[in-house]
Amino acid sequence: MATVTYDKATRIYPGQDAPAVDNLDLTVEDGEFLVLVGPSGCGKSTSLRMLAGLEEVDTGAIRIGDRDVTHIPPKDRDIAMVFQNYALYPHMTVAANMGFALKIAGTPKAEIQRRVMEAAKLLDLVEYLDRKPKALSGGQRQRVAMGRAIVREPQVFLMDEPLSNLDAKLRVSTRTQIASLQRRLGITTVYVTHDQIEAMTMGDRVCVLKDGVLQQVNTPLALYDKPANVFVAGFIGSPAMNIATFDIVDGKAQLGEASVPVPTSVLSAVSAEDSSTLTIGFRPESLVPASSDNGGGGIPVTVDLVEELGADAYVYGHPTGPAAAEQVERMRSEAVIARVEPRMAPNKGDKVVFAVREGESHFFSAKTGERIEP
Amino acid sequence: MSTTTTMTHDHEPDGNGQPPRPVSPRRRTPGVGPGERAISFLNGGFLLFWALVTTLPLLWAMLSSFKTNGEFRTDPMGLPSGLEWDNFARAWSAANIGQYFLNSIIVISMSLTLTMLFGSMGAYVLARYDFPGNRLVYYVFVAGLVLPVFLALVPMFFVVRETGELPLIGPMLGLNSYLSLALVYVAFSMPFTVFFLTAFFRTLPSSVSEAAIMDGCSHFRLFFTIMLPMAKPGIVSLALFNFLGHWNQYVLPLVIMQDGDKRVLAQGLGTLAANTGFRADWTALFAGLVIALLPVLIVYILFQKQVQAGLTGGVLK
Repeated sequence: MATVTYDKATRIYPGQDAPAVDNLDLTVEDGEFLVLVGPSGCGKSTSLRMLAGLEEVDTGAIRIGDRDVTHIPPKDRDIAMVFQNYALYPHMTVAANMGFALKIAGTPKAEIQRRVMEAAKLLDLVEYLDRKPKALSGGQRQRVAMGRAIVREPQVFLMDEPLSNLDAKLRVSTRTQIASLQRRLGITTVYVTHDQIEAMTMGDRVCVLKDGVLQQVNTPLALYDKPANVFVAGFIGSPAMNIATFDIVDGKAQLGEASVPVPTSVLSAVSAEDSSTLTIGFRPESLVPASSDNGGGGIPVTVDLVEELGADAYVYGHPTGPAAAEQVERMRSEAVIARVEPRMAPNKGDKVVFAVREGESHFFSAKTGERIEP
Repeated sequence: MSTTTTMTHDHEPDGNGQPPRPVSPRRRTPGVGPGERAISFLNGGFLLFWALVTTLPLLWAMLSSFKTNGEFRTDPMGLPSGLEWDNFARAWSAANIGQYFLNSIIVISMSLTLTMLFGSMGAYVLARYDFPGNRLVYYVFVAGLVLPVFLALVPMFFVVRETGELPLIGPMLGLNSYLSLALVYVAFSMPFTVFFLTAFFRTLPSSVSEAAIMDGCSHFRLFFTIMLPMAKPGIVSLALFNFLGHWNQYVLPLVIMQDGDKRVLAQGLGTLAANTGFRADWTALFAGLVIALLPVLIVYILFQKQVQAGLTGGVLK
């Protein structure tokens, strides 16, 4: 067991100018489950492969515990990896697959057998030990891949989208299995996914990457409640946060007919950076239907679609009013999304005015995209 | 065919009260319309014709090998009256086919092992490792494909003869040496072997080799315990292909194996054919031919499945 530290680690692929991973500074605590998440091409897999030793580190360093592993070959790093397509050895039985690393390391046969059996019991694979991978289902193969990692009793687990080849239902159940297994074994884990729901549900902490640059690392709830910038705000949460750039008029944020109150501390921060616009985000559950006669406040919306999920209902709409075109242009999200009471959902085509619940707006600098704390 | 099936299925009512539409019988049983029937008849007919063209001469040679010479001369197309095993005995010992058979086996066991070992190793490195000059080496191998054997024949003869003069290893090489012939076979089969296996190794998933590297494999171990077994279908079909090529080789041994005792089977049959021209021992010639054929047939029948698997190149995901 150990911590993992990325110390200004950078990877530039040959023949490319922009780094795939740019000055990554990140510490994973001992026994922690850290999830790397981001859109495709954000450098999350590259970061993981740098830690695995499958990708070179151009500048900076990577440490496992106190050991600098930057230029150490993968086999000496004391890590185990679970691959997206499992990468099982097709000509070996499940038992041989799981024990392969130990066999190479010269572990005595009895010890290999004991550890493989132990892992097989843990993963419910005992009856499949003599089978070849092709005689297993997708979920079983996934568990064999996990088993192969567990058997080695490494200091760090690396997982590269291990659930993306499973069907939706199995993915949800395996998600919880992996998370609880990790807590039981207490082995430091770095987990890569592009699915923010996976990231939120599994990770002790979540690390959001974009274009090779670290955006924010924190607990799932902290990311949700206090996104550090506009990108994190838009990426974390499903359905996505509503984000638009508003003008500051008379101490209020104004965009066409829509208007949102802004605290004075935010206003002074905006004027301090010599700007007259402000990016504001609010989550679908922060919107409440308002009566249209509350002094011109609120956001008028025409309903395009209502998603009724039973416990919740989501309204997808577009801004309405004379300045609608400008409003749409200034929006970061494609639609205005609001969560409403499922029994009182408006109909398609209705006009609804939404107000943002007090204190639930997120403010970001229109210039830098950074969060402005009220 | 499958599209036709789904189409007819789409037209069927899904229990929503509509009366079933009349569907012509031709639509109901797709694939057996007059046009399709004609094509499948042509297909089958052509295959049958081809099968006859290839098997009848074979069958005729086999039947003839069981006849007496008298029978063969009076009724070349008829069935043998009994099994004349003496033909095989004469071919095996008197015409020295036994010795030639053994020579062929010795040479091929060396040449095939070396071809597959070096071919797969070279192809693996060319397919999976990136280094300067990789493509150049690959294209040099591929260029070997266009080199006709006859063009290389004369220089090859001199090279092989000179190797006999080398210190230390000279006695093992030179003309009339099993090893020389095997090495020449290896050289001539390397281009296609490397070409084919490079393509095959490229199709294998890279994550498996990465997993093996993380499990602690050295490059050699990775190749021999992981990649080679994974490439087995390709290796087997190519080994069979090379076996056939080496077994039937005539020109190369003709140049290198000039000593009577060192000749391989194809040469032996040639000699037998030439000799029977005077002694007219046709049935012994056919017996020799059958002896030469059998290993090829047996090997092919044994490995048929793997060859098909190798050509379709299915790799477990």
